[in-house]
Amino acid sequence: MWKLFISNLKMLARNRQSLFWVLFFPLMFTFIFGLFFGKNTSLGTVTLLNKSDSQIAIGLTEVLEKSDLYIIQNGTDIDSAREDIKKGKIAAAVYIPEDFGSLPAQDDLQIEIIYDPGSQSYSGLTALVNQYLTSVNFQIQNSVPIFSSKLEPVTDRELTYFDFILAGVLGLALMNSSIIGIGVNMAKYREDKILKRITTTPVKSWKFVLAEVISRLMINLLQITIILAVGKYLFGAHIYGNILVIVVMAMIGAFLFQTIGFVVASFSKTADAAQGMAQAITIPMMFLAGVFFPIDSLPKWLYLIVQYLPLAPLLRILRGVMLEGNSPFFEPKNIMIVTAWVVISLGISIWKFRLSDE
Amino acid sequence: MKKVIEVKNLVKKYGKLTAVDDISFYVNKGEVFGLLGENGAGKTTTLEMIEGLRRPISGKINVLDCDVRKKLECIKERIGVQLQSSAYYQFLTLSEILSLFGSFYSKNLNIDELLEMVDLREKSSSYVGSLSGGQKQRFSIIASLINDPEIVFLDEPTTGLDPLARRNLWDLITKIKSQGKTVVLTTHYMEEAEVLCDRVAIMESGKILAMDETHKLIERSRYPFTITFIKEKLSSTLLKKLKNLAVVENIFGKENKYLLKIKTNKEMNEALNVVQMMNPESLTVGRATLEDLFVELTGKTIED
Repeated sequence: MWKLFISNLKMLARNRQSLFWVLFFPLMFTFIFGLFFGKNTSLGTVTLLNKSDSQIAIGLTEVLEKSDLYIIQNGTDIDSAREDIKKGKIAAAVYIPEDFGSLPAQDDLQIEIIYDPGSQSYSGLTALVNQYLTSVNFQIQNSVPIFSSKLEPVTDRELTYFDFILAGVLGLALMNSSIIGIGVNMAKYREDKILKRITTTPVKSWKFVLAEVISRLMINLLQITIILAVGKYLFGAHIYGNILVIVVMAMIGAFLFQTIGFVVASFSKTADAAQGMAQAITIPMMFLAGVFFPIDSLPKWLYLIVQYLPLAPLLRILRGVMLEGNSPFFEPKNIMIVTAWVVISLGISIWKFRLSDE
Repeated sequence: MKKVIEVKNLVKKYGKLTAVDDISFYVNKGEVFGLLGENGAGKTTTLEMIEGLRRPISGKINVLDCDVRKKLECIKERIGVQLQSSAYYQFLTLSEILSLFGSFYSKNLNIDELLEMVDLREKSSSYVGSLSGGQKQRFSIIASLINDPEIVFLDEPTTGLDPLARRNLWDLITKIKSQGKTVVLTTHYMEEAEVLCDRVAIMESGKILAMDETHKLIERSRYPFTITFIKEKLSSTLLKKLKNLAVVENIFGKENKYLLKIKTNKEMNEALNVVQMMNPESLTVGRATLEDLFVELTGKTIED
């Protein structure tokens, strides 16, 4: 069985098509989302045109620069800034006219925010500027705001959309490589009569299957390591949970998808049929199980269904551990759904998957 | 002679179709035994039941003194199986495949020697995909020899090969026989069975129509002797004479080419005298082939 295991690893490493699903496909997603939403990302660049040397003007530039929302660059010419906005080179410009902020205030001196209404990225900027001006106004009038609000985050952890995506991509990678990998590979073995040939030898069927499962779990481990490492060290993803718990939960997911792969192989006579069936399972799940966006924003009736897809509870567990540092049993429903799926598809595999024709 | 395979009253059905219909036969140690018949005659099903890959509805199979139903694992150690038109792992080299399959058995032959035997030594680190059809088939056969089996099952080993590759395989099968192994093969090429097999069973619709040593089987033909010759304008008196001695046919509609099918030795000598008198071109005296017998038995030619 050792030999089977080693041979399987060799074949997995030599098969370019399977390598694509195993590594390049998930890494591609990690890179794309990492570049968009990873560290050092901002809503865009803002050109600051400051003609005033008053305290208030300097205070505003400081506020803008400290905020991580925008990359601030200094400019001098308001017309060229307008051009840049039209061309989409920068998100917006803030113009502080000469003498702005010197007292007594002159009515016709106002800060101008120049923006393109077609782009969404200026709204944070107006809020930022207005908030600053309001506080300055209160100070100058020596008054205290009567009504105010207070922010209370449930966690002091910093989280980004990329952190959300990384867990999704991890689940996606395991799902694709296991369901498509096992399904297509086993169906091809059947088509090529390799499975039948195996049954002519004294080797036990369960040993053959076990060698396949274990060698693929090794590959899954490699996938998990690479995706988490690239996410964390290249794109600054935040991972708060225990890494060992994350890996164990991901491996349980990988095992679940492998059993689904065997179900696919049980019901398809050819590799092409298996490919189609595997994709019919994985592609809807990619969009409906919450890889790229939270599924609770879906219409309620749809959410009630898709929350039970095999990938969905797995992603909830992975995110709970990775982003919140929760235990996998924090919401026991999730682990129960995963277990139920393992029991169902393992049962069908044992019942239906055969190396020989009869 | 010791019987290594004994099959008694074997029946196999797929739904309503009876694929194998109450057949019995045996295979002697050290011989090449051929199961002959068209596609769908039940050859492969029979073979796969003996190999333990399919379960018979009824009947008894003994291989190497073990009951297939009870001691399959022990039998599998001692037999080698080449499946009909099967492929091997795409991403393992020839020697890796042999070593993998070797690891399934307690007994192993030397991989390099096996590859050497079929001139594939220099291909040992190539993938199966880079082999020609004949090389693939040769590889597939040595893969079934990895455990030094006592019986080798070859299912249509030469189907789809060019004539030269087929002759290569015949040499290989002869070599395997000379090592003292028993070979059971299926084929639908009559001349192949004639050349290779010591004993032959002819199958049709799940039944065995005839079974014997190959030469005896041919002698059983209704017209064991043949004369062929070419003669432009055969006179009607001579033709009448010949028709009294033999069945006269034009070979594949060629009007100047004649085939005489003759029942007895005496009639053949007389017919030969008549033919020689007219001084024909290209005179051949021969005997019936397995194919002639097959046509007689089934009423059709095997290729269609």
